[in-house]
Amino acid sequence: MKKRVLFLLVSTLLILALLVTGCSPQQSEPADAPEEGEAAAEVINIGWIGSLTGDQAVWGNCEKNTVEMMFEEINENGGILGKQIRVIPYDTRGDAMEAVNAVRRLTSQDKVAAVIGPNASGQAIAISSVLEDMEVPGIATVATNPKVTVDDNGDVKPFNFRVCFIDPYQGAVAAGYAVDVLGFSKAAILYDVADDYSQGLTEFFEKTFVGKGGEIVAKEGFKFGDVDFRPQLSKIKEADPEVLFMPYFFKEVALSANQARELGIDAVLMGGDGWPSEVLLEMAEEAVEGSYFVNHLDFADPEVQDFKDAYTAKYNLPVELNGYLAYDAVKLLESAIIQAGSFDPVEIRDALKTANVKGITGQININPDTHNPEGKDAAIIKIIDGDYVFQQKYSAD
Amino acid sequence: MSAFLQQIINGLSIGSVYALMAVGYSLVYSIMNFSNFAHGGVIMIGAYIGFFLMTAFELPFIAAFGLAAIGAGLLAVTLERIAYRPLRKRNAPFLYFIISAMGASIFLENIVIATIGPTFRTYPRVFSTTPFQLGAISLGRLDAVMFIISGLSLLLLIYIIEKTKTGMAIKATAYSIRASTLMGVNTDRIIFIVFGLGGVLAGVAGVLFGMKYTVYPQIGFITMKSFIAAVFGGLGSLPGAVIGSILLGVIETLTAGYFSSQYRDLIAFVLLIAVLIWRPSGLMGKITEDKA
Repeated sequence: MKKRVLFLLVSTLLILALLVTGCSPQQSEPADAPEEGEAAAEVINIGWIGSLTGDQAVWGNCEKNTVEMMFEEINENGGILGKQIRVIPYDTRGDAMEAVNAVRRLTSQDKVAAVIGPNASGQAIAISSVLEDMEVPGIATVATNPKVTVDDNGDVKPFNFRVCFIDPYQGAVAAGYAVDVLGFSKAAILYDVADDYSQGLTEFFEKTFVGKGGEIVAKEGFKFGDVDFRPQLSKIKEADPEVLFMPYFFKEVALSANQARELGIDAVLMGGDGWPSEVLLEMAEEAVEGSYFVNHLDFADPEVQDFKDAYTAKYNLPVELNGYLAYDAVKLLESAIIQAGSFDPVEIRDALKTANVKGITGQININPDTHNPEGKDAAIIKIIDGDYVFQQKYSAD
Repeated sequence: MSAFLQQIINGLSIGSVYALMAVGYSLVYSIMNFSNFAHGGVIMIGAYIGFFLMTAFELPFIAAFGLAAIGAGLLAVTLERIAYRPLRKRNAPFLYFIISAMGASIFLENIVIATIGPTFRTYPRVFSTTPFQLGAISLGRLDAVMFIISGLSLLLLIYIIEKTKTGMAIKATAYSIRASTLMGVNTDRIIFIVFGLGGVLAGVAGVLFGMKYTVYPQIGFITMKSFIAAVFGGLGSLPGAVIGSILLGVIETLTAGYFSSQYRDLIAFVLLIAVLIWRPSGLMGKITEDKA
């Protein structure tokens, strides 16, 4: 029922949006649109969507830069299947509705062969109905929610793919590492009850940790927007855990880590890919010292340095996590197109279902049943002397 | 037992921040009879002033703290001039004041988002995070400082109101603005002073809040809780605002600590509603009927 209401709402807004955009003159065809019939000079459009304004603009800009940089390079080397590629980027402003509009425009007006992005799960989930309508595949970058590629009934969505691992996997990796490598048996969890990401990690951390013979001695919740966690932390302190799992984002991590230390909790802290940020170290350098978190890759891995250097030389900016996954999304798409031998979106989709490619965040083997990269290694990072230090690749079984 | 004491300390420390914010609401309410929702905005600006003085100008904590308090006081006074005085001169209904206050609050929040940006900022660390250990109980250094500063500011405020001539005039104006005017009290000046005092306290609260948590444009939203604490204690009563805030802080922590952290707000606010049913004017509020 909820779904139907949402669908009605989305479609009404879409119709309105089409009416509005239809009348505005700026939406005319791109000036250098390819002429029909000139097959040799034909340019293939690839869409990218993500946040270029708002809270996540840093990440979105990095993805867009990465995608543009890579296709420039591909074009210089003769393109894909002898065709030049043009990237058409649209801003979603971090908004699911904007993302739907952008995909609608990309698929109906720009006739893209595939869509790369968005990075956020909320937007990635929203666009799947449009992708399915228009039969164009989409590859999400850092959208880790399971529902991005699988619907509520557990059936795989035919046109959604991704290159990152999913939330449950992160939780399982963290728990596995805590028990098997660090040798902990008593864990506490503090999590955001109002957030899917946090709940997903918590659920699977708990399952794996208990499954491996550990015990969850305390599990406390807070709500997004809270800034004081001491009541919950005092309770956790009573339970005396060896490890405290904090599956949420860096701001709350910094605040709660500081408060935990102030209360005298000396447990090792652990978290997921919501952690890495300069702000975390700035706010809570001493508190998170010696903590571990699960990440998509090791930033200092020699294999990623070429890309990092090229990017920094071109844009004079550091590469965000999103850049690496955008890189892998392009690699995956390129290999699927070559395998399909065509730019037909449905044929690309068929190739994506069994695509495997060596990305910079690890080997990506798409599972046709889930459209997720299967068994992708996670990187375990430890914070030592205010620096992110790679420990090892680790995968949950 | 030590866990219980620790939770009480946590509650007192959260409550003391609420208290600093709540007295600002109560002060203005006692004179003007409306809830000054722009107070949250003033607190937020105070926090930003302190932040920029300490980061961009690298002023020492004490100097930045004082200047932020003065800056917030000036802002509150300016707001009174622009947003409330014209209404007052026209004898506008109370509802208009509240709408004007909400407008000012939205304006302040959005001007910060537009000019400084929506992301949060972190204060440079002034106090070490190593806590004081009292047996099994730990008390954060910053919390201790917040306790002391909150306490001193509130004592100073009570001194001004109880022991000075201006304070007497404030009390008289709170009792009846019309009668005070007839008695030769310059009520415009009194209102100016009340907003100034409320603003200075807002600046103090803003800087302390920013140091403890972070600075972001939606800080004003947190002050909703201190407003509720002020209502709970009895709007218009300063001791009521303080007691209401401390109680709210302690009830919140105990609920989270002994029942469920998810239900914290739910249980805390159901308790507050129960108190208001039992005593409609709050714990220490004056009985009035025409207040908005």
